[in-house]
Order: sequence, then C-alpha cells, then structure tokens
Amino acid sequence: MAKNKADLLQGTLDMLILKSLSLGELHGYGVIQRLRQLSDEMLNVEQGSLYPALYRIEQKGWVSARWDVHDTGREAKFYKLTRAGRKQLETEEASWDRLVLAIAKVRQAT
Amino acid sequence: MKWFNILRDRLRALRQREAVIHDIDREMRLHLELQVEANINSGMSPEAAREKAMRSFGNVNRAVDAAYDVKGGGLFETLVQDSRYGVRMLAKHKAFTSVAIVTLALGIGANTAIFSVVNELLLSPLPYRSAEQIAMLWEVTPEGRHQNITSRANFRAWKAQNTSFQGIAAFTDQRFNMTGTGEPEELSVQLATPEIFSVLGVDPLLGRTFLPEDGEPANMDVAVLSYPLWQRRFGGQSNIVGQQLTLNGIKFTVIGVMPPSFQFHIKSRSGTGRPAELWSILPMPVGPGANDRGRFLSVVGRLKDGVPAEQAAAELRTIEARLSEETPEYNKNYSAEVLPLRDQFFGNVRRPLWLMLGAVGFVLLIACANVANLLLSLATSREKEIAVRAALGARRFRIVRQLLTESLLLALLGSALGLGFAYLGIKALVLISPRDLVSLQGVGLNLTVLAWTLGVSLLTGIVFGLAPAVHVSRLNLNDSLKDGGKSESAQASGSRRLRNALVVSEIALAVVLLASAGLLIRSFIRLQQVDRGFETDNLLTMVVRIPDSRYREDAQFVNFFSQALERTRHLPTVRSAGMVNFLPLYGGLGSATGFKIVGRPEPPPGQGPSTDVRVADAGYFKTMGIPLLRGRNFSDSEQREPKHVILINEALARKHFPDEDPIGRRLDVEMFDTPQPAEIIGVVGNVRYDSLIDESPPAVYFPHPDLTYAFMTLVIRTDGEPTAIAPAVQREIRALDPNQPVSDVRTMNQVMADWVSRSRFNTLLLGLFAGLATLLSAVGIFGVMNYSVALRTREIGLRLAVGAQPRQVLLLVLRQGLVLTVAGIVLGLAAAFALTRLLSGLLFGVGAVDVTTFTAISLLLVVVSLLACYLPARRAMRIDPLSALRYE
Repeated sequence: MAKNKADLLQGTLDMLILKSLSLGELHGYGVIQRLRQLSDEMLNVEQGSLYPALYRIEQKGWVSARWDVHDTGREAKFYKLTRAGRKQLETEEASWDRLVLAIAKVRQAT
Repeated sequence: MKWFNILRDRLRALRQREAVIHDIDREMRLHLELQVEANINSGMSPEAAREKAMRSFGNVNRAVDAAYDVKGGGLFETLVQDSRYGVRMLAKHKAFTSVAIVTLALGIGANTAIFSVVNELLLSPLPYRSAEQIAMLWEVTPEGRHQNITSRANFRAWKAQNTSFQGIAAFTDQRFNMTGTGEPEELSVQLATPEIFSVLGVDPLLGRTFLPEDGEPANMDVAVLSYPLWQRRFGGQSNIVGQQLTLNGIKFTVIGVMPPSFQFHIKSRSGTGRPAELWSILPMPVGPGANDRGRFLSVVGRLKDGVPAEQAAAELRTIEARLSEETPEYNKNYSAEVLPLRDQFFGNVRRPLWLMLGAVGFVLLIACANVANLLLSLATSREKEIAVRAALGARRFRIVRQLLTESLLLALLGSALGLGFAYLGIKALVLISPRDLVSLQGVGLNLTVLAWTLGVSLLTGIVFGLAPAVHVSRLNLNDSLKDGGKSESAQASGSRRLRNALVVSEIALAVVLLASAGLLIRSFIRLQQVDRGFETDNLLTMVVRIPDSRYREDAQFVNFFSQALERTRHLPTVRSAGMVNFLPLYGGLGSATGFKIVGRPEPPPGQGPSTDVRVADAGYFKTMGIPLLRGRNFSDSEQREPKHVILINEALARKHFPDEDPIGRRLDVEMFDTPQPAEIIGVVGNVRYDSLIDESPPAVYFPHPDLTYAFMTLVIRTDGEPTAIAPAVQREIRALDPNQPVSDVRTMNQVMADWVSRSRFNTLLLGLFAGLATLLSAVGIFGVMNYSVALRTREIGLRLAVGAQPRQVLLLVLRQGLVLTVAGIVLGLAAAFALTRLLSGLLFGVGAVDVTTFTAISLLLVVVSLLACYLPARRAMRIDPLSALRYE
C-alpha cells in the first residue's frame, strides 16, 4: 500500500459516502469514483466494503435506492441522499470539524 | 424507521434469500465491469484490467457475505437456521425428545400451577379499591389471644379517637331466617355499620349501598343483596330494588345488589362460618339496656393516605390503653392490633405457599438436571457431528449457540405441554383445596402466569442447556473424529464427571423434598391420632336457629329444642341425640369468659381465671361419647328450668381444684347481668373444641334453661349411615314449626375432615412433589447408569471374556449406582437439616429434624435407585463378550 495514501478512520466512511451523494444521485461505482476525484486519489477505500456500508446507511433511512438503466445500457442501483441523510451529513461534518480543530490544538501545543 | 427497515430487509431475506443475494451480486458485478472498462480505456490489456479491478475491489465473496449480513442474515437468520436444524435433530432422536419434554413439562407444569395460586393469593391486588389501605382492627386479650372481637363501646371509642383511618366500620355475621317467598331458608347476614361499603371501596351493581342516615334507628330495615342470592332467590329481577323481604319475621326493603365479585368474609371470626348473602344495618343502641360491653364485633378500617399500618396500630394501642384505665372492669390488660387485609386473608397460607413454590422449584431443578444429563449423553454421541462442524470452520460460539437453541426449543415444547399439565393441575388443586383455606375459584392461567411460565422455561432452557453446550464446545477435534465417540475418550470422562455430579444433586434435592414430605406425613398421622375426647363415627350434626321474633320467652326456646330432640330420639336407627351451642372444631366465636370460684379470695381485676362456656344437654355427652368422670349428668328437671347447675371439664377441675373435689363447689361465670353462681354437679372429659393441636382449655357446660341460646347444634348418633336420617329429622322439626329451617347438615366425620383439610392439603401436595422428585431422580440415575453401561460395553465384555462372573458385573454396576446415591443422600440430608426448620409452623408432634423420618426416606431412596440401576446392570450382565469385542 502506497505511503502517500491515507487509510480511513473507523466511522468516516459513512460521512464520505453521504458527502459524495450530496452532489447528486450515484451508483456504487460512481461513489468510489467521486471519492477518488474529490480526494485527488489520496483516499484508499476498499471497494468491497462500500456495499455493506451503503446498505446500512439505506436501512438508517439516510439514502434511498432504486434500480435504473445506466448510461451504458445496463441496470444499476442508484443511491440518493434523503432529507434525513442531508441532516446527518451536517451533523457528522460539524463533529468532524470539531475533532480536527481539537486535534490541531493539541498538536500545536507540543 | 431504522428498525422497521432492518426488519423488512431481514424478513425479505428469510423468504427470498436467493433474490437478495442475486441483487447484491448484480450490483457488485456491474461495479467490477465498470472498473474493468475504465481500466481498458486507460490502456491496459483486458487481463491486466480485470486483475487490477479485482485487486482494488478486495475479496468479492467476503464483500457479498458482509453485504448479506446487513441485508439479511444476522442473528435473525441464524436463529431460524438453528431452530430448523434443532427441530430436525429433535425429530431424529424421538425417544430422547419425548423423555426430555415430558420431564420438563412435569417440572414446568407443577411450577405454573403453584405459581398461579401464589399469584392469585399473594401477588394480585385484592378486589377492593386501594386494598392496601384496608386493615382489620382487633383486640388482643390479656391471655394473648390475637384477633379478638370487640364491643360496641370500644368500637365507638376507636372511631371517635383515632386519627389514622379515613373511616372504620363494625360488622358481625349472623344467621337470619328468610320467610315469605318460597321455602324458608337460613341466610348468612352481615350486619354492619353504614360505613362498611365506603371503607371497602366497592360500588353496588344495582341501587345503592348504605348511607349514613341508614344508621338511624328508624331507617335500619334496609338490605343489600349479594349477587348469588339475587340470582338464586329473586331470579335476577332488575326491579328488585324497592321490593321487600322478611327476615326473622321483620320486613326489610332491598336497596341494592352487589356485583358478583364482591365478598367480605373473615372466616375465623364469623358467627356463621360462611360468606354473607345479605347485608343489613348493625344496630348501635346507646344508653341503659344496650349491650355495650359484650364482645361480638369485627372492625375493618381504611387508612388515611400515607399512614402505615404500624402507625395506626400504635395509635390504636394508645386508645386501648386509655380504655383499659378508664373501664378496667371490661378492658383491663386488653391491647389492640391492626392487621392489613392481605395478612388477614392470606397470612396463614403465605408460608406454606412459598414453601410449595420452593418445592416445585426443586422439582424443576431436578427436571433440568435430568434433561442436562440426557443432552450430555446425546452430545457425546454427537461428538463426531459437532467435530465435523468445528473442523469446517464453525466457531465455538456458533456451536454453543446452536446447542442452546436446541435446548430452548426443548424448553418451549416442554412448557407448552407443561401448560396443559398446569391447567389440569389447577383444576385438581381447586378440587382438593380445603374449603376453609381461601377461595381458589379465581385461580387460573392468566397473562401474569403465562409470562412467568415463559420466563421459567427460557431460564430452564439456558440452565440445562449451558453445561452440555459448553462441554461440547471444548471438544478435542482429533479424538472425536478418530473414534466417533464410541468409547470412553478423555472428554467423555469429563462429561461423565459432570453427569455424575448432576445425578448426585438430583438425589440430594429429592432427599430434601422427601424429608419435608415425610415430616408432614408424620404430623398428619399424629394429628389423626390425637385423642379428641369424643367418638366421631355415625354422628350427624345440624344447626337449628329459631328467630327471636317468634319465641319471646326463654322457656319457649327450651321447649322447642327439647321437643325437637324428643321427636328425633324416637326416629328409627337413632341411638341417641343431644345438643350443644357450638360443635367441636367448628370455628365459632368461643371467646374465653372470666369466672370466680365462690368462697375463694377475689383476684385483682383482669387477673381472674377464664373458661370456655358452652351450652349442652345431658344427651350431648352420651351421644358424643364424652365420659362423665365424676358426679352426675344434668337431670330432667335441670333441663326444664334454671336450677343453677353446671358441668365442668377435666382441665378446669385439674387447674382449679387440683387437691379437692370440685363437686358441690360453686362458680360465678360472668355471663349474666347479675352474679349467678352455679353449682358444679359433675366433671366430664376434655374435648378439643378449638383445635386438635392445642390442649383443651378449661370449660363449663350450662344446661339450656340456665343460658338460653336461640340456636343449637343437634348431634344424633345412629346405627349405620348417619346422613340417611337427616330428612326425617328435618321433617320432625318442620312438624313443630313449618317455617323453621335447619342448616349445616353434616356428619361429624365431615366436620373433622374439614378441620384437618389444610394439613391434609399441604401433606398431599408436598407428598406429590416429593414423589415426582423421586421418580425424576430415579429416571436420572437410570439414564446415567444405562449410558455408562453402553459406554463400557467393551470393557465389560473383556471382563466377562477373561472370566468375570455375571454376578460380579451386576455388582459392579450396582455399586457404581449406589455410590452416587449415597453421595446424593449425604448431601441432601445436610441440606434437609438446614431447610426443614422452615416447616416448623406446619409440623405437629414431630421435630423439624426427625431421625426416624430421615432414616426412612434415605432407605427409600436407596431402594429406588437400586431398582433404577437394576435394569442397566442386568443388561451389563448379559453382554455377549464376543460381540462386545467385535463392536469396535
């Protein structure tokens, strides 16, 4: 694994998925692509673990899913952020900001 | 929302597992395909593109599994899987399953039945509003007799001076003859002060209950009917309110009907001994001539909010102490007590009930041990199957869960059958429960009971399933796969120790139950052997009460009864007949009365002797077989008019005339408004009136003319079956007065049986549970020995092959069984020594540690377990050495 890539912290995958979906409806592969673009290829998400996470988020009611025809002509499952999901994303981003700020303060102190 | 989604997904996965997996698969495949295409587009060869895509995706199978765990799967699906597998397993081992289920059902059924009684009597709320605020108020006599009735004057003082109660009401149960509509009938009537219904907090079904103004002398002729009386005598007419009925010749107006569930009956202090069918106003006259000081009232009260019963009791004692000071001639040394209603009703059954619940708990534990043993044997023979599952990657937790699911399944099946047993058991309990105990009519399988049963069965499932499950999960795979659990492997010896321990504890538990049952049985036998002072066979009894309104003069009462007896004596098969006011062992009020011995110095007030007072005729002693020890019986003239004579019992003679002849001495018994000394003309044998347990207290007998009662109990001794004569006696009494009913027609043996019924009930139940426990442990020891013989087939075959005698093999097996049994007995006796003292209040004539009983039950268990070992031992003896050796 390349040194210049960052492993995901436990629990952050949900937030990243929500974030990537906040820009529009996507299928699973699309979520991975968008994360890669947004992070300038720096984030290392194990693609297989995306789906359990997506299903869990769906069960929590943060995203809704539907099967539709993909632009390649094949059927794909598309995920879309719900209102509850948008709210959740805000909460998670806020608490993430607080965490980053706190860690930064601690690090500056040393 | 979240739970709903998960549940929906899981349920879908359960029904359409394939479709769910297909969807996941499709989604991931598209992902991979898109990735491969992207890689090719960036210039890779198809092979490299595919390889890179797979690598970046990670393990596909694991991803599908993880995804499926979210969508379906999880605990829910494994539970269903485990259950399905468990059902298949149980169906495969039919013999095992049926034995286990029946064993559990017996344990759970007994538990459910007893719990339903405990729930009804000790846990459910009483059928009165805020029943925890209701309490009885009693006096305590100087002799320390509790729950003693009080007088009008004292009731008035309590009512005026207390600050603890919202209200208190006095009441007394009396017999009234109802005439007018249909057959004359004797009713049990509760006369009460008007507050009674508001104190109890019940509303009528029809009409109204008492108002304060009903207590005014002019308004007292009101009646409230019980629901059964309304149905029985008035056909449930809805216009009953306002109608009139005649009681003891006086007209009463019906003002209301109570709901079917309402009853208020303090059996031990009831003058009628049966629940009231009608309520009317208790007259509370004041002034000269009013019987203000006679004790005949029970008192019930409702505590004010937040006032505990102890505080009210302290206040009542203070009031009573004041009364004792102000009026020592009536109240010297009297105290008072406040008894919460539940304690009043069920205080005396609380301990036996908890004991019974403990006993059935023991039975259930034994059942659990048995099933655990069966499961262990089964698990040992399933070692190979389980080892294969473990070898294929099943985690230990997963295997334990599978086995626990099986045992829970067993427990649930057992409790389903157990509920059936409980249903029948409750019916039987209600049938055999003593009439004087408490009404078990309301006992049944309600929701609380079902919840208890479910809880108990889940708990038992875990208790008996855990040991085998944990044991099996520790299997050494290699050994198990190698020999498939056919011979004694290292773990198998561990499981043998566990099985032995289980059997030893079963026997120990059975010992405790048997010891308790044995003690109760011995007490019961002792109780039957008590010299009660009279002969019970061929004796018919009945109560005749003549209304005061029709016979005004004492002489008329005396006349009526002597004529009735005279007519009865002339009936065929009647050998003799007599009468007494209160029968032995029949409850009644029998309160002690003070007396003075004429010619002896007078003791200070409140410290004089007291005696039981009865009214009887000469025929009573002859008919009951009560011996005349000294002097003579009442003469004819003494039974016609007052001659101031009495008979005393042996106890009084012994206590007060130890060194002199009591004949000719005179006693002044405080039964009369003016002193009225009576001469002792004879001494008769003691009779156990109040209880078989306590020694007879002193007693005096007045002839009827000296102390006239409006009701008498006739006793009639017959040749042959006494009940046959009852209709003829009733005819004779009807001939004297067509409006005169009789009641409580019973043989003396029935009266006796009723008295010992509680003791019989306890003995019967505990005996039943002990028998069940013994049976179950016999099954347990049989199972263990049988299994052990099966495991040792080869070894035993070898022994026989090298020349052991079959008899030696038999002894080998029996000895092994005996060692377990003796270990169990020793352990059980130790526990019994500690536990049987809980029985002490229920025992009579035998200590809580009784060597005879303990020895007998130990021997019984040894015999039972030897019998249980005999079958496996015989099987071992008949093992064919050749086939046993080939068996491997």
